[in-house]
Amino acid sequence: MAEPVLEVEGLVKHYPLTRGVLFRKQIGSVKAVDGVDFTLGRGETLGIVGESGCGKSTVAKLLCHLERPTAGAIRYRGEDITKLSGKALKAVRRNIQMVFQDPYTSLNPRMTVGDIVGEPYEIHPEAAPKGDRRRRVRELLDVVGLDPEYVNRYPHQFSGGQRQRIGIARGLALRPEIIVADEPVSALDVSVQAQVINLMDRLQAEFELSYVFIAHDLSIVRHISDRVAVMYLGRIVETGTDTEIYDHPTHPYTQALLSAVPVPDPDARERRERIILSGDVPSPADIPSGCRFRTRCFKARERCALEVPALAVPAEFRYATGPAVHDSACLFAEELRVVPAEEHGNGPG
Amino acid sequence: MPEQPPHDSEGAVAGTGMGGAMDLAASEATTLERAPGGPEGPGGPEGPGGREDAEGAGPAAGRPRSLWSDAWRDLRRNPVFLVSALVILFLVVIAAWPSLIASGNPLTCDLARAQDGPAPGHPFGFDGQGCDVYTRTVYGARASVTVGVCATLGVALLGSVLGGLAGFFGGTWDGFLSRITDIFFAIPVVLGGLVLLSVVTSNTVWPVVGFIVLLGWPQISRIARGSVITAKQHDYVQAARALGASNSRILLRHIAPNAVAPVIVVATIALGTYIALEATLSYLGVGLKPPSVSWGIDISAASPYIRNAPHALLWPAGALAITVLAFIMLGDAVRDALDPKLR
Amino acid sequence: MLLEVRDLRVEFRTREGVAHAVNGVTYQVDAGETLAVLGESGSGKSVTAQAVMGILDMPPGRITGGEILFRGQDLLKLKEDERRRIRGAEMAMIFQDALSALNPVLTVGDQLAEMFVVHRGTSRKDARARAVELMDRVRIPAAAQRVRDYPHQFSGGMRQRIMIAMALALEPALVIADEPTTALDVTVQAQVMDLLAELRREYRMGLVLITHDLGVVADVADRIAVMYAGRIVESAPVHDLYKAPAHPYTRGLLDSIPRLDLKGRELYAIKGLPPSLTRIPPGCAFHPRCPMARDVCRTDPPPLYEVDQRRGSACHFWRECLDG
Repeated sequence: MAEPVLEVEGLVKHYPLTRGVLFRKQIGSVKAVDGVDFTLGRGETLGIVGESGCGKSTVAKLLCHLERPTAGAIRYRGEDITKLSGKALKAVRRNIQMVFQDPYTSLNPRMTVGDIVGEPYEIHPEAAPKGDRRRRVRELLDVVGLDPEYVNRYPHQFSGGQRQRIGIARGLALRPEIIVADEPVSALDVSVQAQVINLMDRLQAEFELSYVFIAHDLSIVRHISDRVAVMYLGRIVETGTDTEIYDHPTHPYTQALLSAVPVPDPDARERRERIILSGDVPSPADIPSGCRFRTRCFKARERCALEVPALAVPAEFRYATGPAVHDSACLFAEELRVVPAEEHGNGPG
Repeated sequence: MPEQPPHDSEGAVAGTGMGGAMDLAASEATTLERAPGGPEGPGGPEGPGGREDAEGAGPAAGRPRSLWSDAWRDLRRNPVFLVSALVILFLVVIAAWPSLIASGNPLTCDLARAQDGPAPGHPFGFDGQGCDVYTRTVYGARASVTVGVCATLGVALLGSVLGGLAGFFGGTWDGFLSRITDIFFAIPVVLGGLVLLSVVTSNTVWPVVGFIVLLGWPQISRIARGSVITAKQHDYVQAARALGASNSRILLRHIAPNAVAPVIVVATIALGTYIALEATLSYLGVGLKPPSVSWGIDISAASPYIRNAPHALLWPAGALAITVLAFIMLGDAVRDALDPKLR
Repeated sequence: MLLEVRDLRVEFRTREGVAHAVNGVTYQVDAGETLAVLGESGSGKSVTAQAVMGILDMPPGRITGGEILFRGQDLLKLKEDERRRIRGAEMAMIFQDALSALNPVLTVGDQLAEMFVVHRGTSRKDARARAVELMDRVRIPAAAQRVRDYPHQFSGGMRQRIMIAMALALEPALVIADEPTTALDVTVQAQVMDLLAELRREYRMGLVLITHDLGVVADVADRIAVMYAGRIVESAPVHDLYKAPAHPYTRGLLDSIPRLDLKGRELYAIKGLPPSLTRIPPGCAFHPRCPMARDVCRTDPPPLYEVDQRRGSACHFWRECLDG
């Protein structure tokens, strides 16, 4: 793997649940993120997938220092950024930028596009000399495929896809090394999603960016990611390269998730075996003992309630080789192919 | 992207019932038609990820614009703003120099002509004390406009600063402030005025202004707090924070412009009630005292004679109504100008 | 034929002028059949459904032409109270956002029972029993206890089940589902789609599934109608369409979605943006974005050409498109 730019270790975020008006008493906590470890290599894309409430958006906020973690470390180039504040934090922020999900609320409706994209330079005056800022803003708009003449327009004059481009231009302004993208295309139309994904692909090569790409859409994550981490109830349950996760999943949750994704191929519907999970995701305030997936797992046995499976290569695969050997937090991990094998190359036409 | 149900669309978007994307596309098409090179646009052959969206090159961008310069440009062309601004300007001028348009003395009265109708040189007639209604209405502008404008400014500033900060920072101070506003809401205005103002001996408008600010700020503070909390939850605030923006920058650049609209609306409506409140207090004898002249004093003095001499009531009341209307219209125009979506 | 929409036209008055949301839409649904109406936002797919249900906001909306035949009867000619009797009892709708479609201050049991009381004149007590039965049908665990819960006490998937239960309460012949699973997670989405398909088979309902998700369509639909700028640009049995699309827009959509089963390089992206409905381009509405566009496309709007007996394509060059 490439040289790591970001190392996350034991990241925990608990939100206290309190009761009482005057004298607040803590009665529990919502364990949004409950021990997450991963490494992001230079120029690499790490995809984080999971259903709503699994804590993937909280991870994004923690990485961008929008929330302070309850415990754990986020090391950027070896330095733990969770303890930073003031000037040192501001300096680190230049290097980790975020692209938001909703292009309709992530741009201030009362600022012009030029002001929005140029704001990073006002906050970090050292990044660009004052006289050069307007030129840079126009250059950024050009880079993300917007006409630089748009600087004086307001966000509402743009479509969703164009707004997301503006958000990306703002994220690029300070030439960050890492971009954390939280569901960047899920609010866009299908035909526009492809434009934005291609743009992000192109920018990654052009600016040597590392992406943390958070999404619930497994197809998009596969398309853009080098490595994938599957989250469930605040923890990563399986992680590996895209082939390892998609073609050789060993965790039952990943298998169920993959089997549930509708594939745009009507012939596949007879061939596919669906794993339909029963029930709903438990509340993150009341996490099941042992393996947190056991309440919905089709393989759960008694041992699962007692033992917490670690995220490591499962014992079954200790002496094996091949793509099935990767980290999977399951006591009874076994490979199960759920995505139908492709029969004919149906590439871009 | 899922289509928004039409009921969800707000404001400008509601017109089509088709959800936001369509309206956004609408503005796109306007520019598409203007684009040089015909409907195909220059972006065509460049392929995916190229500049396919950038077809609608607008007119050449001149100076960089901002919300405030755009708002000002917009206001200058808005007839509602121009009319209300002219009315307010006129009020300010006669409040400062009433003798410009009224040659008489508001305190020279002739009881013999009490309740008389219009006469040459006295176009508005006479009030119950035989004073010239025209002169008194002109001179009354000073006290009423001063009370209205100063009280509103004071209330808006104090209320929005306290409410805004409480909404932005939350926590203990927010809870504390909320309880304080509750206490102030519980004070009955008239009774409070009777108690507090009866100990003041000054015969200027300032004790009245101070009293209105004291009782008026909690209302604005609640509204400001609520709209700051709403604005704070938007992603663009998070985005600014992720860029490393300071709290003051976030408050001034991002939250204030997006939270100010309801404050403007409520404050301009409150302006009228403050002028009326001054009248009530004066009527009760704790506001301005004669020989001060104000619309409030005249309205309350004329109200017993409404059957015999309606003109004595209608002129100052009409002046009050026009003043209030002008400020409300001004507030509306400013609020709309600060919303780029309505341009 | 259960439902037949013929040349439906709907306009909206907006500040920018008249928006032509639906411009001559024609489709049919048979009993027991699933028709998927596929389109992006602003394509008119939801407006068509609202016109069929008779819940279009008028004004600003206005139906300017066409017929909506339900069991041979033109719904547009009926009086409002006659339509109300059909709505709910014979045709029902499932909305995307179950949380806002359910009344937050009434228990779900009351809301389900209401259907029977209003339409069937059932007594309160019987209606309540029927409500529990329905919740059982859509497989809500412990229905007898949960009938007294409020909507917010259910998860998203469970709420969508309650919406389905409400739509199916009176065993309608036609159900229109407007993005029923868009707001749900994939694992829950699979549960809900399965349930819907099963109930459709059981009641032999006609189902109109409105969606933007090509994956969902491939999973459940029999036939598909692709909408663009208020028109149907292609309609075909679902297998035929995915094998060989006969319209460049459909082809573009199919090529632009990332696939779970293959790691492609660059995605094909349809250039440009969907047109504004106040200024739909002359000729073929898709021509500014179409890679195959020629002069005739800029001037002559293509009719829905018959590709074969069960397929239609609104493209002058459907033959070339079909050949790839």
